[in-house]
Formats: sequence, C-alpha cells, structure tokens
Amino acid sequence: MRTTLRALSATLVCALSLTACSSGSGGDAGPAAGPASACAPSSAGPVTLTFTTWIPKIEEVVAAWNAKNPNIQVKVQTGPNGNGGTYQNFFNQLKAGNAPDLGQIEYDALPGFRVQDGLFNLGACDIVAKAKDQFIPWTWGQVTLGDASGVYGVPQDSGPMALFYRADLFEKNGIPVPKTWDEYAAAAEKVRAAGGYITNFSQSDINQFAGFAWQAGGRWFSNDGQQWTVNLTDDKTKKVADYWQNLISKKLVSTVPPWTTEWDNAYNSGQAWTWISAVWGANSIASGAPKTTGKWRVAEMPQWSAGEKSAGNWGGSSTAVFKSSKHPYEAAQFALWLNTSEEALGLLNEKANLYPATTAGTSLPALAKGVAFYGDQKIYETFATAATQVAPDFTWGPTMTATYTNASDGFKAAVSGKGTLTDALTAAQASTIKTLKSQAIPVKE
Amino acid sequence: MIDTIAPAAAPVTRKAARPPRGGGPGRSVPFFVVPFGVLFLLFYLLPIGYAIVQSLYVVRRTGTFGPATEVFGGLTQYRQVFADGPFWQSVLRVFAFGVVQVPIMLGLALVLALLLDSGLVTGKRFFRLAFFVPYAIPGVVAAIMWGFLYSPSLSPLKPVTSAVDLLSADLVLWSMANVVTWVYVGYNMLIIYSALLAIPAEVYEAARLDGAGQFRIAWSIKIPLVMPALVLTTVFSIIGTLQLLAEPQVFRSFSSAVTSTYTPNLTVYSTSSIPNFHLAAAFSVVLALTTFVLSFAFLRVTQRRGAL
Amino acid sequence: MRENLLSRTAAMLVMAVCTVYFLVPVWWLFVGATKSSEQFTGTGALWFADFRLFDNIGDLLAYRDGVFLRWMANSLAYTCGAALLGTLLAAMCGYALAKYRFRGREVLFNVVLSGVLVPATALALPLFLMFSKIDATNTFWAVFLPSLVNPFGVYLARVYASSSVPDELLEAARIDGSGEVRTFFKVSTKLMFPALVTIFLFHFVAVWNNFLLPLIMLSNERLFPVTLGLFTWNTQVNQLPQLRGLVIVGSLLSITPLVVAFLLLQRFWRSGLGAGAVK
Repeated sequence: MRTTLRALSATLVCALSLTACSSGSGGDAGPAAGPASACAPSSAGPVTLTFTTWIPKIEEVVAAWNAKNPNIQVKVQTGPNGNGGTYQNFFNQLKAGNAPDLGQIEYDALPGFRVQDGLFNLGACDIVAKAKDQFIPWTWGQVTLGDASGVYGVPQDSGPMALFYRADLFEKNGIPVPKTWDEYAAAAEKVRAAGGYITNFSQSDINQFAGFAWQAGGRWFSNDGQQWTVNLTDDKTKKVADYWQNLISKKLVSTVPPWTTEWDNAYNSGQAWTWISAVWGANSIASGAPKTTGKWRVAEMPQWSAGEKSAGNWGGSSTAVFKSSKHPYEAAQFALWLNTSEEALGLLNEKANLYPATTAGTSLPALAKGVAFYGDQKIYETFATAATQVAPDFTWGPTMTATYTNASDGFKAAVSGKGTLTDALTAAQASTIKTLKSQAIPVKE
Repeated sequence: MIDTIAPAAAPVTRKAARPPRGGGPGRSVPFFVVPFGVLFLLFYLLPIGYAIVQSLYVVRRTGTFGPATEVFGGLTQYRQVFADGPFWQSVLRVFAFGVVQVPIMLGLALVLALLLDSGLVTGKRFFRLAFFVPYAIPGVVAAIMWGFLYSPSLSPLKPVTSAVDLLSADLVLWSMANVVTWVYVGYNMLIIYSALLAIPAEVYEAARLDGAGQFRIAWSIKIPLVMPALVLTTVFSIIGTLQLLAEPQVFRSFSSAVTSTYTPNLTVYSTSSIPNFHLAAAFSVVLALTTFVLSFAFLRVTQRRGAL
Repeated sequence: MRENLLSRTAAMLVMAVCTVYFLVPVWWLFVGATKSSEQFTGTGALWFADFRLFDNIGDLLAYRDGVFLRWMANSLAYTCGAALLGTLLAAMCGYALAKYRFRGREVLFNVVLSGVLVPATALALPLFLMFSKIDATNTFWAVFLPSLVNPFGVYLARVYASSSVPDELLEAARIDGSGEVRTFFKVSTKLMFPALVTIFLFHFVAVWNNFLLPLIMLSNERLFPVTLGLFTWNTQVNQLPQLRGLVIVGSLLSITPLVVAFLLLQRFWRSGLGAGAVK
C-alpha cells in the first residue's frame, strides 16, 4: 500500500508539471499570442476560417459564400448541438487555445462564454456596429453584454412564440380560441371535460418557461457592472408560476416528459390540444403528429390583459467569433453575410427552418406562403408580428446550464406533486447564486 | 504430461508458487508490462493527476464579466463537496442500488453460465449470442428504446406500465436496475463462462465416476474454481455501480423522478457542464476514494477467505 | 434417465425465459427499424406494420451523401486495430501479473485498479489538453491511442492466466530452453485463447460503442465513428424530427458488425482447450 501511494504521488508530480504548463499560458484567457481588440483586416493573403455549428445543411450555405469569396474561405465543422456536447468542447478548446474562429452560440449561452472571456468583442468592428439597424432590436439586445459597445455575436435566428392549437377540436367542442391567459385557463377546464388536455406542461424546457416569464415582464438576471442580481421569483415570474401550478394541481394539463415518443403521441392522438411554442415548433408538430395534418392553426400567444401585445421568445442563436481567432475582421464579415444577406437567410430558412433575426428577413418570400400542415394558413405572419412584440431587455445569466438543470429538477418534483413551481424557482435561485459564487462571479445575495 | 489429478487441487498449489530461479523469467517482465504501462500512464494516470491538482484550485475574478485567474485554494472545493447534501444522498442511493442489483445480476450470470456449461442445454451458440446482444446495443438508442418500453401508453407491456408507474420516484431506481441488469448479465455471464471453459474435463470425470449429479458438480467443483472470476466481476460491478451515469442520463429524458444529481457521477457531469472543472474534479476524487474504499474492502474480505 | 430429461427441460425453460427477457427490446429495435416515422408511434410496438426496412436503410445511406457508411468505415478502423492491439497489451500485462512474482507487482495491480476508479467524465478535459499540446486533436490517433488501454482486460487476463496456464508447463518450457516471450506466444496464448477471445470481444464492443472520447476529440464529421454520428443526429431530433427514424435504423445496422464478430469468434469457446494440448 505504501509503495502504491509512492507511485501515485510520483504521478502527481508529473501531472503537476503538466498543469503548470497549461495554466501558465494565461489561465482561461486563451493563448498569449491573441489579437488586440481592434478589428482590422488581416494583412495580405487568403484567409481560412473554421466555423463550428450544428445547423443542418449549413455546408450548402457556406459553399455559396466560398464560391464568391476566394480570399476568405470558411471551413465548416458540424457536430452535436450546443448542449449535447459542443459547448463543452468550446470550453475545452478555449482552454487549450485551439478554438475555431467562429461558433454557433445560442443567446442564453452567450453570457456563459463571455464570463470565460472566450468571445471577441465584435462591437470593435465598425462593419458590425453599422449593421445594428438591420436587426430586430431585442435580438441585438440579446447579443449585447455589459455596456452598449460590447457586442459578442451576430444574431442569427429567433424563436418568437405563438399559440399552436387544434382548430378542429376547439370548433367541434364550441370552445373559443383563448386570447388571454384567463380565457386559456377557462378553456382548459372545458377541454378537460371533453376528454383532452389543453397542453402538456414541460418539466424540462425551462427556457420555454423563461419565454412565458419574458412575456409577462419577469426579468431573471440583471447586471449593473458591479454585480449580478438573480431574481427568479420576481412578481411577474411568480404570477406565471402560480398560474401554471394552478393548472397542474387541477390536473388540467398533462405532464408527460417532452421530446419523447410518448409526447409526440399525445399530440398525434389528440390528447393535447395546444402548444405554446416558438416558430421552429411548426416543424416539430408537423413531424411528430403527422396524423393531425390540416387540423392545426396558429394564433397569437395568450396575453395577461386583454388587448396587450406582448410575446415571449424561446431559443435563437447567434454567430460568435472566439477571442483566439487570428482573423476577427474576416470572421465578422462572414458572420454578417451569413445573418443579413438575403441569399444566406433564404438558404438557412429553406434548408434548416431558421427564422431570421433581421427585420428584412421576416419578409422573405418563403415565409409569405401558406403552410399545408396548418391548413394553408400563412403562419409566419403571426410570428412576424410576435417577433416585434418581444421585450428587448431580458438578460440571461452567466451559468444558465446550472440554472436550467436546477429549475428542471424542481419542476420535475412539482409535476409529481411534491412542491410547487415557485418552490422550484426559489431553490433554483439559491443554487444559481451558489454556483455564481463558486465561480467567483460577483452576485448580490 | 500434466498430472490429471493436480488441476482439481490447483488453486491451493498455485498459490504457493515457488519464486523464480535466478533472474531468468523476471528479466522478461518489463517486456510484458511496459507497453500497457506506458499507455496507461499517459492516458489514465496523467489525466487523473491533472484532475487532482485542478481540484485544489479556485477561481478568482474581477467584475461581472471579468476574466478569471486560477489560484491555489487548498481544500476549498472539497469543503463544498462534503457540504453538498444531494451528493451524499446520491452516494447512499447507488449504494442501496448496488447491494440489491449486483448480487441478483451476478447470481443470474452465474446460473446461466453454469447451465450453458452443463451440457443440459442444446443450441448453446444461439443462447450465447442472445445474451450478448444487449451489451452490444449502443447507448444512443437506449433512451428511445426504454422510453418506449416503460411508456404508460405506448409500451407493448402496457398492462404493466399503465397500472404501475414504473418511472415514479419510488420505483424508478429499480426500473433502472432492471435496465442495468439487462445490459450486463450477458457480459458477466461470458466472463464466468470463459473461466468455466478453462477447467479441464478430467476434473469432472472423477466426480461423475463418483456418481455426482450436475448440480453437485456445479456447487462443489465449478463454483469454487471460478471464484476468482466471480470476485473480479463483483469488483467491476461495484465500480460500475458507483460510477453509474449512462442509465440515469437515459432515464432523465423520460422520467420526472431522475434529477441532475441522482447519482454521484451525474453530479460530476452536471458540474463540469457549467463549466466548473475544479469542483467537478473534486467530486470525482471523492467519488474515486469512496469507490476505492468499497472495492478494496471487498477484495480484502475475499482474499482473506482465500478466493484469490 | 428421467432425471436427465427433467433437468434438461428445466434448463431449457430457464434459457427460454431469459432469452425472451433479453431479446424483446432487441426485437423492438428491429421492428422499429422497419417502420416509417408515422407508423412508429401509431402501430403496435412488437409487430410490423408496412415492412420498410430496406427503404429505411436506403434513406439512411443516402442522407448527407452517405456519411453513415463513412462512419461505419471509421468505426471499423478505430475498433479493429485498437481491440486487437489493446487485447494483446492487456493480456501480456495480466499474464505477467499472474505468472511472475516481481517487485512492484502489487503496486502495479493497485495502481491500475486505482486508475479505473476515477470517472471518465473527469478525464475528458485533461486528455483533450494533452492532445492539444501536440496538435493531435481531431485526428485518428486522438481516438485510437487512448482506446488501446483496457484496464479491465488486464484483470480478466490475470484471472484467466492463473487458471488456464499451469506453472508446471512454464517450468517445463523453461527447462526446454524456451524464452519467456516465446513461451507466451507459442504456449500460453493457445491455452488462454478462449479467454483472449472474451477479452477481445468486450474491448471491441467498448471501443465501438464509445462516443465520449470521439466527442471531445473530433470536430471533423468525416472522422466520426458511427456511435458519435448517431449521437449527433439524436441531438438534432428536436429540429429535424425525421432523424429519429434514421437513428433507429442506424443503431440496428451498427450492431451488425458486433454480432458478426461474435459469431465468427464463438467457435473458439470450446471447453477442453485447458487440457494441456501442448507437449
């Protein structure tokens, strides 16, 4: 045993030297030979950029750029989606100094990368600053971190929310399509009486719940430059939480785990009648519930007071440039083309169902057509309206993975009857503060 | 050339092996050991050392988005680990899991291996393959498969799954145990079966001449002779149980009772996703030490009983 | 005679029940792979609807310009080599632990055991940093080299070497003037062969199904092994629900080489090989 311990400590000494090498190179800040924060064109010669993303068929979009830009060639690397391992890989690569030039990062993950000092400030590039007006204002807010000159990604797509509903079932049972949340709760009772559930409450899509809170005016995180404030249980969020807890307790909503075949089946067999989801959800229903084609329609999200015009957002990502990139100017050029040019946005929408974040993008010709699954309704018009109704000041925290996980643990307990959604959010708030403190991020207690 | 009676008493005599004569055989030991040893050092020991060292560091930061520096923090991370209630609950949970699931799984593996070796079974090749296939199924499809099979509405076993909520907080641990058993019985069975194959037939001849039936042979001869393999599979299973990660992750996607800290290794995974590598490393070290204590305790007990 | 019949029936009954238990989920997978995505949830799970297996395989192989076939080829490349070489290295080490008394034997045993006690999740970042230092991430070697290490194989080899290779035989070979290495390759491996097959098969499956190591090391999709590829598709199912069907058919196809390897190597599991066939 003693000799074993000696052997192990010898290994520790070796490993210590390995650590000394890696942490000597500037800790988490990437390689020492990084570019200054100025954003200037690289000196002569063709440039090759690496871009890691998980957008399906992105290669076709990038090929269009590469054909027209022989001096700036972009090499695409695809893999699992962010939370499926790619974000973890980005963090590892930032630490090792071999991160790609560009990466796809969802809005709620951007602060996490900013806090690891992994992102290049695109606000220093005048081409980016000038492009600000092309974007729907709240999407620009999603990529601005810290002060207004800190732009850390180019918005790519968004997820404005609306109400997907089974028009045929509502009509057959004489239930009016709800326009307010009160009407929605009333409709829930009638739907239950007719044998269905008005919707399935998701125990793990905390970012969908965040979208509800966003619509209601809840603000979970704020940052005054000195410290973060975490407020998962502010009044508006509590209102939303109590509302859904009420529906859960009265068993007016089903609580099947989402994104499972069972969940698909709930929609396919007419058990669940609505889904309050983002624009990209149109495809999810169409694929998961093929038996119900032609029976769905899209309406505006229910509002808290009649006549209000507010929408939530669920999802959306940006194209970010990593701090270690040696060609930030060229990377910014590509990122702007990818997310503002009509050609790129058209291809992204066609191949990957992405809903653009630019004002011009919402009027793409492809988005003006009726969709057969929804009875030829021009569903994207509803989403275009919703996209203008999302509040611009919803800030994400720097450790959203932890917040989502903690909240989901609590939501799971709540749907099983142990505790309420508010309890879950309170616990998640405490956990989030603890996580921030263990990362030495200043946070208000 | 081999004494036919000796192998039956082999475990006893082999343990009293004579030390090598001269430096002859000993000289070639490096040839056998170094290739594996070097790779093991590179890809296991060095990373472990790195993780241990990292677990002693803390992060310091200035400003709300300020860059981080790593500072030696001593046992700060470990203090957090020991104060983490859910982590220790999860340790107790996997312990309870192991105490029940491992004996059942290995018992079944042993019985099946003995049956296959007993000559009572025809179609051995088919059964060996059938029991092996569960281990071969890739994890990526496990979530879809078990989500389906445990589903209250879609499962072919609907009468059971809709009557009893197998995914509820009370039962989900045992539903998971069922999956782990399903995957690993074949694996463990083949290990034991390979050990049974090594027993020369002459050993049974003597017993059969004495009139012993299959059951008696199994109990008095086979089981003692495969004891080393059984001890080994138990140690592997103890380690595997304490490091349970794949099945809880699968169940998390379709059960509301499985949280992100359900097993210790899930906590490690969740912590490193934040990313908080220093804390995750501390959790890993503590988990490794716990596993160390339990597996070494088990080995000590069995060695004292002379099984190895 | 009657006892024999009773015993046989009882044994076969146990086997049959266990077979049903083990194969029902596998059957589900097979049946699921023959269905189209609409029928997947709509029809009974354990019997066929329209038999679309070959159409589904066609869709699978055509998707993204046949990347699935590329992934299968990658898996074969990573796995065959790593399993063969890894088994040999583990067997040699286990054999030495079993058959030779040398200083540091117990230390080696304990250290190797300690090595598997740390969960693999904690080793991902250090391994990545190590390969980054030599600029070898996103290469074949980043996956192949760590896959060679099979600590459990060492223990298995130790147990099997103890029971299959008699010391007397080694002594005899020594007296005959055969060197240790020669004895190992000519005598011991033959005695241990069924055990080596077991170790090889397990290592093969472990490397084939391992997607964590490739996930952290590889960013080029063309280098992915098949399980990482399927995992990637699975993470995109929310955006592209049609991928779920491809994941199921792909999983079925990815088991095929494992089953083939098993069938080919099964013949080496014959008892009586331990009966000192070497003179």
